[in-house]
Amino acid sequence: MKTIKSLLIATLLLAAAPMATAQTADEIVSNYFENTGGLDNWKNVESVKWTGKVDLGGMVIPFDRYVTKDGRSATTADVQGQMFYQDVFDGETLWGTNQMTMEAEKSDAESTANYKLEAKDLISPLLNYKEKGYTLEMVGPETVEGTETMKLKLDIDPYMVDGVEQPNSVYFYFETENFVPIMEERTVTSGPAKGMTIVLKYSDYEEVDGLYFAFSMTQGVKDMPGGQTLSMTGIEVNGEIDDALFSFPEPAAETDKK
Amino acid sequence: MKKILCIAGALALLPFWTSAQEIELKGKELFGDMTARHIGPALMSGRINDLEMHPTNTRIIYAGTAGGGVWKSNDGGATFNPIFDDYAQSIGVVTLDPKNPDQIIWVGTGETWTRNSVSIGDGLYRSTDGGKNWKEIPGFENSERIASVIINPENTDEIYVGVLGALWSDSEDRGVYKSTDGGKTWNKILYIGPSTGAADVIMDPNNPNILYASMWQFRRSGWGFNSGGPNSALYKSTDGGASWNKIHNGFPPGDLGRIAVAVAPSDSNVIYAVLETEDKSKNGLWKSTDAGANWEHLNNDFGLTVRPFYFSRITVDPKNPDVVVKGGLSGSISRDGGKTFKNLGNMHSDIHDVTFHINDSDIMYSGTDGGVYRSWDGGATFEIVENLPLSQFYHISVDDAEPYNVYGGLQDNGSWYGPSSSPGGVNARDWNSVGYGDGFRVLKHPTKNIIYSEMQGAQNVWRYDVDRNRTKTVQPLQEKGKPKLRWNWNAPMAVSSHIPDRFYMGSQFVHRSDDMGDSWTIISPDLTTNDPAKQNQLESGGLSMDNSGAENHTTIFTIAESPLDQNILWVGTDDGNVQVTRDGGKTWTNVTANLTGIPANTWVYHIEASVHGKGTAYAVFDGHTSGDMKPYALKTTDFGATWVNIVSDDIDENAFVRNIQEDYINEDLLFLGTEMGLYVTINGGKNWSQFTNNMPPVAVHFVDQQAKTNDIVMGTHGRGVIIIDDISPLRELNQEVLAKDVHFFKTVPFTMVEESGFAGSFGAETQFVGRNKSTSARIIYYLKKRHTFGKMKMEVQDMDGNKISTLTPGKSKGINVVNWNFVSTAPKMAEGKTLAFGGFTPMRVPAGNYKIVLTKGKKTYEHIINLKYDNSALTTLEERKEQEALTKTLFDMVEDLAYMVYEIGETQAKAKAVIQDHPKGKKSAQKLWDALEGLREDLVITTGDNYVASAEPELRERMGDLYSSVAGSYDRVSDARKRNFELISEEFSKEKDRYAAIMAKEGKKFMNFLEKNDIDKPAVKPKEEFLKKD
Repeated sequence: MKTIKSLLIATLLLAAAPMATAQTADEIVSNYFENTGGLDNWKNVESVKWTGKVDLGGMVIPFDRYVTKDGRSATTADVQGQMFYQDVFDGETLWGTNQMTMEAEKSDAESTANYKLEAKDLISPLLNYKEKGYTLEMVGPETVEGTETMKLKLDIDPYMVDGVEQPNSVYFYFETENFVPIMEERTVTSGPAKGMTIVLKYSDYEEVDGLYFAFSMTQGVKDMPGGQTLSMTGIEVNGEIDDALFSFPEPAAETDKK
Repeated sequence: MKKILCIAGALALLPFWTSAQEIELKGKELFGDMTARHIGPALMSGRINDLEMHPTNTRIIYAGTAGGGVWKSNDGGATFNPIFDDYAQSIGVVTLDPKNPDQIIWVGTGETWTRNSVSIGDGLYRSTDGGKNWKEIPGFENSERIASVIINPENTDEIYVGVLGALWSDSEDRGVYKSTDGGKTWNKILYIGPSTGAADVIMDPNNPNILYASMWQFRRSGWGFNSGGPNSALYKSTDGGASWNKIHNGFPPGDLGRIAVAVAPSDSNVIYAVLETEDKSKNGLWKSTDAGANWEHLNNDFGLTVRPFYFSRITVDPKNPDVVVKGGLSGSISRDGGKTFKNLGNMHSDIHDVTFHINDSDIMYSGTDGGVYRSWDGGATFEIVENLPLSQFYHISVDDAEPYNVYGGLQDNGSWYGPSSSPGGVNARDWNSVGYGDGFRVLKHPTKNIIYSEMQGAQNVWRYDVDRNRTKTVQPLQEKGKPKLRWNWNAPMAVSSHIPDRFYMGSQFVHRSDDMGDSWTIISPDLTTNDPAKQNQLESGGLSMDNSGAENHTTIFTIAESPLDQNILWVGTDDGNVQVTRDGGKTWTNVTANLTGIPANTWVYHIEASVHGKGTAYAVFDGHTSGDMKPYALKTTDFGATWVNIVSDDIDENAFVRNIQEDYINEDLLFLGTEMGLYVTINGGKNWSQFTNNMPPVAVHFVDQQAKTNDIVMGTHGRGVIIIDDISPLRELNQEVLAKDVHFFKTVPFTMVEESGFAGSFGAETQFVGRNKSTSARIIYYLKKRHTFGKMKMEVQDMDGNKISTLTPGKSKGINVVNWNFVSTAPKMAEGKTLAFGGFTPMRVPAGNYKIVLTKGKKTYEHIINLKYDNSALTTLEERKEQEALTKTLFDMVEDLAYMVYEIGETQAKAKAVIQDHPKGKKSAQKLWDALEGLREDLVITTGDNYVASAEPELRERMGDLYSSVAGSYDRVSDARKRNFELISEEFSKEKDRYAAIMAKEGKKFMNFLEKNDIDKPAVKPKEEFLKKD
């Protein structure tokens, strides 16, 4: 029995050893998928539904976010019983609710084309990144959120910014202690924050059907305090999703829809 | 026994196996998410060193700034964003890779327009991802100033770097360097000597083997400047830098100074040069039409010859070799190949670089002492870029207003004061001008609304009566029988904290006034070394005389009155003396000899007289004007008899120190303003940690602490005013705290600030707006580890444990700051066709104690905070309680209505189902549905949209609006609202009665039908469940 215990400890130590030594970017990503459920299981994810709440200064808004492996997505939010749709994509059409009319409107062609490019990344840009033709690069160690991380750069497909093609990258910060990403950075390409860096911070990782997901995501501008936090109350993997959810609704007749 | 020994031995080998192990956190680990905020100003922006255009994408422009890093525009120069905030902020040059300009950017640090106040660089950097990440290129660490990076467009692995080098000392790092392997290895291919650097290196755009190098012999000291010498020369290479020849054919004989050079992109034979020579008539513009073989002198107008060390940039229109622009006091443009020039259009003076749009030469960009300008009409008219907060403060101070104001003077941009917070953020329009010229110290009178400000060399010291809008110049003047006064460029002023009208100034003497500057008494002998060798400013400049007063030396630079005793005054001089008086100036003690580890005559940049002891003071020393960049800071507790070094190895070796600020409460908490940013110690200087959260390593010229708010306020020389709000948590940090998993820092009662001022955001699309201080409760705690796995929640509860609000906790290792805006939740609104905006207002909480409950995994941590009402409230306590009670009544009423509408909806849904599926029940179901629908239409909006197709407001909207206006008001509840409340209450009562009547009649019949036919009743959730918010 003693021998077994020793062996177990030795195995544990051996298993932990690679964590402490220098790793390549590829190893960090492999390690992440292995430690959070196994790469095969991640590859088998057909869809994910996040259910959560966002608190806008005292007003709590419940939302659902749906993504599928085949590149469809939808975010729905309930405000005073009205359903708002954002980032809804059926593979071809990107649409959302106009907040004045409450009617569905299509996004512009460039946004749609860019979204289509990233639709294969909805589960995770890092999943199958090589097959997708992306390149991954180690940037190096960096302290974020007060803790030591390894910064990785993932070059994804170039996209269009107001008619001009530009390179596109996502940066991931993997906490060195447990090798899950705790932060992600992207550059804003349009709107008032154009050129600024948006950060997404991940925490409260929990297991869902054998896979680990962050149950808390805070989005904000780099170096600025605060941000908006999405707190998940549930995550469902490979659940039933009605295809109709993603389709752009046909224009409603001029009657009261209630 | 052996085994035990073995184990003990093994344990002894483990380095961490000591009980006395100290937790030492550094930088971001310690400061967590304590973040600095920048308030500008940007309206006068700051000095630009170099502009760089993207070669193909007209939207992308880079600005390399004198002291504020590198900024990138993605919108053709409408706005810029900083992209180099982790590195030295003094920039020499920005260059894009010609083949891969989107991704590869080179930045050579160290400003190259070598005025007295320039900062330093620390090498060469490259980004391979468009400026998001940078790597330092080894080999240029000691370059101090890099003037040029040029890249062969045909082979981008071939790179040339021109190192101008050290300004205040010899350096063998100067010269022209070449790499042929993309920057991995470098060879120095042109070196003249330790005092001659590469002022410019350019490449023939049509032949990458042809290079021109302008080599410049120059030197600055604390008391003079010398431009020119026998080693200054213009060189040409035609073999990629393997060999170099002087190309001076036609130039006058004798020494040369700084040489500007440019090749016309559209004609490689046309070269322009601007010379500084021994013969004044030969200064100015020279032209060659045979690629440098022969030169002709064309123009020596003032605009072409002015201050070559400061203005030596020539730009030729990329499409027309006859259109030439030269930087200068106003900037000059020629359209006849350099024969004649006129000034560029009005803009901030001192133009350092001008660039042309790649496709349209009517569009030009100009980099000045006051930011970046754009022209749309070929340089005739210029407009400023409004979001570059690059202001270069020499000094700042704060007052005790609420919110407090920040006062300070700027390089070439006058003196200003502005609020630390302002409705909508700190805007350009919030700043007030209080002085011309170069601005330095600006001090508020301690009790009166009077501001003292000055311009260079105390040429004017203004006493500005803000209320009456009157100024008076009050500087001390030379008196009969006294020597001429020697003023530093940045002359010291101080106000007394003991006698409000007392005002000090320092020349070589200390001057004291007890009537706000109307009359002066000299209260010291000459406190400097009075070394005549350092007083020859008339000879300063070298080939071109440059006696601006900026080199005045052997002067007093800092005066500090003890906050504990009006008779104790400390003085530091620019030539290294520390002097102290303990009797109001009757006798002075020179304590310079007692300093430890400070080289002789090192500039005493600041003395801080402590609040913690009469004999306690801090002095910082700056040797950079003799080439010594090391940080120096000393502390004395015995009036200067002995001093101890408080600088540790944690501070960068080139981070020379300009200022120190002690914390007013914790003597061991100190803030050090260095050339490479802010450092903080929590243990009296044993270790220092650089503060880097939204704080670039910019030159921090002055640090002040606002006593009421505990804010650290910095005057930076390149990024304006930067504030770290409330540093009080740092006072509590000690080993015991650092060892805890979670530690809540003490908080003082929070005032629930009542303000509802207007804040127009006009212009904010393209203007810099400084972030305000949060007026929320700041819940601050320390986490030993970053929280990544498992649940972590934060709630506000009342003292009985009832939940008031849910907060998002910070999860950083180190210090976390969570803001709570004193509200609970917004009411749940009845469902309608449109949104009821009144329902977006959450209820404010009453004053009192609240529990902050942090749940991390299975553990819970609690902290109690206290909230109090604003002293400036418009209401009595009784009126406020009435307002709170009515808010609550309306909140409940809004939710009652929501539940009623919900019940109606569920009942209608059931009726509809019966209509469809049960013909027998159709009649009663339809009756009920119709009755309920009639009611619903009076309760909520059922048509229209959220904008101009909106329907008439119904009960929900009117009730919501009343709730919102009462909840959001800081005033007593008005009669109008009370009457409106009566009306709405009555109406709601009637509607409730109507609902009850419908349910008693049509509802009863319908329910009977359901019961009889064994159909489920409407699935109505209990009210509590329906109203649950999370």
